[in-house]
Amino acid sequence: MHHNILEIKQLKTYFFTRSGVVKAVDSVNFGIRRGESLCLVGESGCGKTATALSILRLIDSPPGKIIDGEIRYHDEDLLHCSGKRLRQIRGHGIAMIFQDPQSSLNPVFTVGDQIAEQIRMHLKLKRRPTMERTLHLMEQVGIPRARERMKDYPHQFSGGMRQRIMIAAALSCGPEILIADEPTTALDTTIKEQILDIFRDLKQQREMSILFITHDLGTVAGIADRIVVMYGGRIAEVGTVYDIFDQPKHPYTHGLIDCLPDISARSDRLTSIPGMIPSLIDPPDGCIFSPRCPRSMMVCRQKRPKEVIVSKEHLVACHLYS
Amino acid sequence: MRYRMMRQTSRKVGGKRNLIFIGTLLVLGLIVLLDIYLVDRILEPMGYFYLFFVAVAVLYGVYPLHANRRLTRYYWERTKRHRLSVLGLAFIILLVAVALIGPLLTQDPTRVNFDEKNVPPVGFTIQQSIYDLDTDKFLVREIPGTYQHPLGTDDKGRDLLAMLVSGARVSLQVGLLATLIAILIGTIMGVVSAYFGGWVDQVLMRFTDIMMTFPFFILLVFIIFIFGPSLVFIILVIGLTGWTGAARLVRSEALSLRTREFVMASRSLGASDARIVFRHLIPNVLSSVIVIATLSIPGVILAEAALSFIGLGDPTVTSWGMILNAGQRSLDTAWWVAVEPGILLFLTVLAFNFLGDGIRDAFDPRSQL
Amino acid sequence: MKRGGLQGYIIKRLIYAALIAFGVVTITFILLRLGPTSPADKYLANMSARTQDPAQVVTAVEARYGLDKPLYQQYGNYLINLARGDWGWSFSTSMPVIKLIQTHWVYSFQLILLSMLFAASLGLLIGVYSAIKQYTRIDYLATFFSFIGISIPNFWLGIMLILVFSVQLGWFKTYYDTGLPMFSLANLKALILPVITLGTGMMAGYTRYARSATLDNLGKDFVRTARAKGLPERVVIGKHVFRNAILPIITIIMFSLSGIVFGGAYLTEIIFGIPGLGRISFNAIFASDYPVVVTITLIGTLVVLLTNLATDIVYTWLDPRIRYD
Repeated sequence: MHHNILEIKQLKTYFFTRSGVVKAVDSVNFGIRRGESLCLVGESGCGKTATALSILRLIDSPPGKIIDGEIRYHDEDLLHCSGKRLRQIRGHGIAMIFQDPQSSLNPVFTVGDQIAEQIRMHLKLKRRPTMERTLHLMEQVGIPRARERMKDYPHQFSGGMRQRIMIAAALSCGPEILIADEPTTALDTTIKEQILDIFRDLKQQREMSILFITHDLGTVAGIADRIVVMYGGRIAEVGTVYDIFDQPKHPYTHGLIDCLPDISARSDRLTSIPGMIPSLIDPPDGCIFSPRCPRSMMVCRQKRPKEVIVSKEHLVACHLYS
Repeated sequence: MRYRMMRQTSRKVGGKRNLIFIGTLLVLGLIVLLDIYLVDRILEPMGYFYLFFVAVAVLYGVYPLHANRRLTRYYWERTKRHRLSVLGLAFIILLVAVALIGPLLTQDPTRVNFDEKNVPPVGFTIQQSIYDLDTDKFLVREIPGTYQHPLGTDDKGRDLLAMLVSGARVSLQVGLLATLIAILIGTIMGVVSAYFGGWVDQVLMRFTDIMMTFPFFILLVFIIFIFGPSLVFIILVIGLTGWTGAARLVRSEALSLRTREFVMASRSLGASDARIVFRHLIPNVLSSVIVIATLSIPGVILAEAALSFIGLGDPTVTSWGMILNAGQRSLDTAWWVAVEPGILLFLTVLAFNFLGDGIRDAFDPRSQL
Repeated sequence: MKRGGLQGYIIKRLIYAALIAFGVVTITFILLRLGPTSPADKYLANMSARTQDPAQVVTAVEARYGLDKPLYQQYGNYLINLARGDWGWSFSTSMPVIKLIQTHWVYSFQLILLSMLFAASLGLLIGVYSAIKQYTRIDYLATFFSFIGISIPNFWLGIMLILVFSVQLGWFKTYYDTGLPMFSLANLKALILPVITLGTGMMAGYTRYARSATLDNLGKDFVRTARAKGLPERVVIGKHVFRNAILPIITIIMFSLSGIVFGGAYLTEIIFGIPGLGRISFNAIFASDYPVVVTITLIGTLVVLLTNLATDIVYTWLDPRIRYD
C-alpha cells in the first residue's frame, strides 16, 4: 500500500455570504504520496483552489470557514494544530505558490529579500549563507544574472520570470510538498512549457511531492502521475494519468477529455459539455453532476454517489459503477 | 446599467435641456444688466443667486430624477439602508424648514436690550453679581431662564433663538450656493481637461495646482481682507476658491470614462466633441459630482462660520460664527452663547457628512447594500 | 541609469515647483491690485498719520511700492523685493516684516509640529488596528469617533475645551503665556489644549485614511503569499502591509497641510492667543497693516509648496515602481 505523506479526509469548507452558504468543498478525500505529482483538475469554481488553501488554513476567514475534516501530515492534523506549529509547517514542510505572480509578490521589496525572508526565519541562517542560498535557488530556476537581479523589484521582471521567483521562494526551505495553484494559467504558451520543465526537473531531483492545480488537461498530461478530478466541490474521479486519459469512468471526466481539441480529427465543431456550472449554494440532493450528465439515472437525482474502487488505483464517485 | 438609464434621460430631454439652461442664463444676465443700469434694484444679488441655483437644481437635478423614476427609486432604496444618512437627511430637511419659516416666527435677532442681557436658557438658573449703586455693593442675583428667551440671551440682550434661526438661514445659503459655484467650476474644468487632454489639460491642471497650493482658509481670509466682507461676496469667493478638489476628482473620473468603449464608439459614429462631453461624459460623472457636492457642503459652512467667527463675516447678518465670537467673550458669564451655535454647527456638518457617505455608498456599484 | 532616473525626476519636480511658486506670487499680486480701495491706501494713511512729515512718508512709500508707476513696473518691483528679502515695513509693530516673521514663526511651528505628531501617531495606530479588526466593536467605535472628529468645528472645540478645562476646572490658563521657555514642561502643558484642538480634526481624518489604506492592502494577494510562507501575523502586517499602506498615508498627511492644518492652525492661534504667524497676520488685518498680511499669506503658500515637493520626492523614493520606470 502506498504511503500518503498528506491525507485529506472529509474536508468541508464553506463560505458564508449574503446570498447563502456556498459549499465550496463538500466532503473531499484524497492523499498525496512522497515524490509524486498529483494534479487536481476541474473547471473554475469547482473547489480546487479552496481545497488547496484549506490545507494550509489560508482561507479568508470571514466569509470562509473550514467546517469539518482532517488533514493528516506527519501524524498531525493540520486543521487542528496550533497556530505556531502551522507557521512552522508553512513554507518549510508544505509550500505554496499562486496563480498570478504579479500580485502575489510584494511590489515594494526586492525579489532577493522576498526569497530570503523564509530562509532566515525557518532555517535561521545568517546573512551570508542566506544570500548564497538565495543565489543558488535563483540560478536553479533559471534566472539569468542572478547576483545582479537579486536587488531588483518584481515589476522589473517578466511574467515568466516572476513565476520562477515565486518557485524559488517556495523551494527555499526544502519543503516536502509544493502546492501550485494554477501556476501557468496566467502565462504565455511558450513560457508555460518552460515552467512545466522546471517542475519536472524538481520532481526528479528533489523527490518532492507536487500538488498541481489546473483546469487545463493539456498541462496535466505533461506532468501528472495521478489525477484527482473535482466537480461542484466534490470528487468525481481519482486515478493514474493512464487511467484517466485511457479509461475515464466518470461521465464528467469523459466529457472533459472529449473537449480537448484534436488537430488530427476532422470535425467542424469543438465539443463541449452542455449546461452550466451549478450553484454551490444549497446544492440539490443527489449527484451534483446529474443535471448535465448524459447518462444520469433516477438514482442520480436522489442519492449522492459514494466513491467506488474500480481498479488498483482508480476510483469513481458515480452510480454507474456502484 | 446605470449608464444606460442615465443616457435615456439625456435622450429624452436631450440637447434641449442645455439649450434651456443657456437660455435661462441669458435671460438672467439681461435682467441683471437691466437692474444695474436702468431700474432701481429689482432683486438683491442674493435673489439672483437663488434663481440661478433653482435653475441648475431643477434642470440638472430634479428633472432627471423625475424623468427617470426607476433609477431614482433604486438609489433611494440603497440610500435608505444606511440609517445614519437618513437621519442626516431628516435633520437637514428640518433645518431648511427652520431657515425658511423660522425668521417669521421669532423675534428680531438684532434687537438689543441691556436689561435682559445674559439670561440663561430655559431650565437653567444663573447667578449674576450686579453692582448696586444705592448700597455701593455687589449684589448677587439669581436669574432664571424664561420662555420669552427659550435659549437665552447674549451679553447685549439679543435673543439667542432668533439669532440661531437667522444663522441657520445664512449657513444654508452659503452652504448651498457656494458649493454650487465651486462644483460648477470644478466639474467643467475637470471634464474639459479630461476630454481634450493635451495642452488644454496641462494648462488647466497647472492652474489648478497653483490654486491648490494656497491654503484654502488663508486665501479666503486674504481675499476678504482685500475686498471687504459681504455675504454675497463671501459666497462668491468661497465658490471661486474651493473648486480645486472637485476639479481633480471629476477629471480623474472623466479620464477613466474617456477610454471606455462607449466614448470611442460615439466618436467613430461621428459625434462632435461638445456632443460627447455633454451627452455622455457629464451624465456619467454626475453621480460622483453629487457625492462630491454633498460632502463639500460641510467644509463650506465651516469656512463661512470660521470667517464670521474671526470677525471677517458680513456684519449686517447674524451667522453662527458671529454668535460664537460673542460666546468666546462671555465664557465665564454666559456659557450657553458659545455652546449653542457650536452644537448646531456640529450637527449640521455631521448630518451632511452622514448623508454624503450614504449617497456615496448608494452610488458605488461595488458596495453591497 | 537607474539612479539618474531619480535625479532627473527631482530636477523636473524642482522646476515645476518653481513654476508654481511663480504662479502663486503672480496671482497674489493680481489679487492685490484688483482690490477696490487698495489696502495700500489705508496703509499709506496709517503710516503718514504716525509721522511728523506726512508728505515725505507718502513719497517714500510711493517710491518703494512704485504706486505711481505703470503696472508692469510695479510687478517687477514686487518680485525683486520679494527675492531680496525686503518684505516691507509693519507700522503696527514698528519693525520690518521680515523681523516680525523671524520672531514669531517658532510659535506656529511648534503648534503645528506637535499637533501633527499627535494626530499622525494616534491616527495611524487606531486606523491600522481598526482595519485589522474589521467589523468588530472596536472598528465601529473608531469609525464612529472619526466621523465625529471630522465634523466638530475645530474652533468650537477649542472654545469648549477652554470652557471646561480653563474656566470651569481651572486646570489651564485661558491664554497662552509667551514668557515660557520653549523646551520646558510648562510650555508643553500650556500647549496641550491647543494641540488637542488642532489635532483632533486632523487625527479623525488620518484614522479614516489609515484604515482604508490598510484595508486595501490587507486584501491583496501578496499578503496571502506572506502568510503561506509561515510568517507570523505581526510580520505580515508590520512589514508587508505596512510598507505598502504607508505610501498613500504619507501623501495624505502631507497634502493635508494646505487644508486642515494651516487653516486650523490659524484659528487655533487666534483662540488661544498663541502669537504665531496666523495670529500676527490676523492682527495685521484689523490694523490694515497689509505688507504683513501679504507676506504671511505668501509664506504659508510657499511652505505648502515646499512640503508638497518634499512629499513627492519622498514618495518616489519609497515606491520602487516609480523610481525604476
